[in-house]
Amino acid sequence: MRHLVHLFMGLAACVIVLPILVVCASALNGGRSMVFPPQDPTLIRFAEFFVSEPVWRDALINSVIIAFGSATLAVLVAWPLAYGIWKSGSCASKVLAGLGAMPFALPPIVFGVGLGFMWGFAGGLGDIWSGIISHAVLFMALPIVTISIGLQSIDTAHLDAAATMGATEKVALRTIIVPQTLPYTLSGFFFALVLSFNEFIVMFFVSASGYATVTLQIFNSLRNGFTPTMAVAAITFITVSVVVFSLVARFGDLPRLMGADQSNK
Amino acid sequence: MSSIDASAIVQRDVPVKGSRRFPTPTQIVLWTLVLALCVVPFVLVLVISFGEKIEGASWVFGFTGANYQRFFVGASWPETTTFLYLNRLYYSVFYAVIASVLAVMTAFPFTYFMTRMSRAAQSRWLVFLLATLSLSEVFIVMGWDILLSNRSGLPMVLRETGVTDWLKQTGWFDVLREWGMANPRNVKFKTSVFATVLTMSYLVWPYAVILLYPALSRLDQSTVEAARTMGAGPWTVVRTVVLPTVRLPLIGTLFLLFVFLLGIYVSVTVFAEPAKQTLAVSVYESVRGATLNAPFGAAQAVILLVTGGVCLWLGQVLVSRNRAKP
Repeated sequence: MRHLVHLFMGLAACVIVLPILVVCASALNGGRSMVFPPQDPTLIRFAEFFVSEPVWRDALINSVIIAFGSATLAVLVAWPLAYGIWKSGSCASKVLAGLGAMPFALPPIVFGVGLGFMWGFAGGLGDIWSGIISHAVLFMALPIVTISIGLQSIDTAHLDAAATMGATEKVALRTIIVPQTLPYTLSGFFFALVLSFNEFIVMFFVSASGYATVTLQIFNSLRNGFTPTMAVAAITFITVSVVVFSLVARFGDLPRLMGADQSNK
Repeated sequence: MSSIDASAIVQRDVPVKGSRRFPTPTQIVLWTLVLALCVVPFVLVLVISFGEKIEGASWVFGFTGANYQRFFVGASWPETTTFLYLNRLYYSVFYAVIASVLAVMTAFPFTYFMTRMSRAAQSRWLVFLLATLSLSEVFIVMGWDILLSNRSGLPMVLRETGVTDWLKQTGWFDVLREWGMANPRNVKFKTSVFATVLTMSYLVWPYAVILLYPALSRLDQSTVEAARTMGAGPWTVVRTVVLPTVRLPLIGTLFLLFVFLLGIYVSVTVFAEPAKQTLAVSVYESVRGATLNAPFGAAQAVILLVTGGVCLWLGQVLVSRNRAKP
């Protein structure tokens, strides 16, 4: 039975890794076409992606700007929403946070179409700033959830102690609540960051071909067939994801963030 | 949008004992923001779905049901009737159902075994899963595209290892051809329902694990042990103890994945044959692509949304009815 379990887990890991591995290996291809196993292995595609080909370099810069901008914005708006639920627990605050999380729960293509119309009216269709706001709204649900988990984990004894010693709520917020929820806030930030980095369909509608992110650029290149340079983008993105989530796991409690039981540490 | 300041304002303006009658400035700002950015896009889609396209130009607001009529029975109804778009909806639902069921069925045992591991091992698995989960659809499609391509993927492996010949001898090859998964010479996966469903299922698999993880992780281990002590075999334990306890999260996960998969675009455009493409693809074609008819695209998006909404609602009903029963 034990062996069967290991076999099953191993098999699952293999299937998960297989397409990723194939993409990564294809980056080493010397020729222009994407073949597996790679022929005439070379590292020149990495130089192309990061340095010499402006299309990819610009796309990467756009991706980075949008990811960091939108993740910051998402956290800044999510904080008061999550704090509102925790502080008052009122129906209105729950509805507000629920509405804030709605775009994430519905099929993204519908939200993308809607945002496309909205930025068309408001101006900003095809501008980077509207892309940043769009992703911030789409991924706001993630910091709302992680910050809420963080707020719930605050030991109320600390708050009572602070209040007894005469701390105003503002002081308590600064000295207890914000520091204690910082790991959760950061986790929310990184979740939003990584997902924004990889998001495709909403950006597809919002960018209106005004600019390209890496994922958009890859999709645009689909018509000309895959090239090994695209695989470098994939490697970059996978590396970023693994590093970010490892950091979250290292400095935050990842199993708890994912909703694990606290008792069996 | 300095919200840290903003929450401080909430603090100052709302004393603990004070009853809140009037919304604070922060609340007004937050409500405006959320309504404008999270709700307005959906409202716009709904409103524009009743608009009219002007030939050779763009479109105007209006109040016509023509877009919906075109969706259900075709533009020139009642003279002729086509179910082209209903067919698209059918394929949207078809792929989403199979892929989500497949993902949950395989993710469930995986998650169960994972939660039995040490905390550190769980952390490592979660990092791995989150990294693949966040990986863009375009990369995943790229990977499977190479793996399933006729030139250098699974079909080549099957041919080289002689599996193709074996299939031809045993007659399975003809069955595969009937299913559209083989050309006269070799097995092919592009384009096929198999490839589409496989990629979609792969796409949501980490989500399934993450969604099932809390429930399975909180599963009371003592009941499982008790059942084991009383002599129940592992399968009996899973069937009589584990499954009933996590029935609700299981249903919930299934529905969430289903709704997510309804809107999948890249996998379908790459792996599904033109006759079997989904509503998401034709939404794109109408809004940004070849046909350029924004109101009709909006109407299709509304129908996609309603389909998803109805399913979520059904799931909710199912869950609450199950909860009422002990």
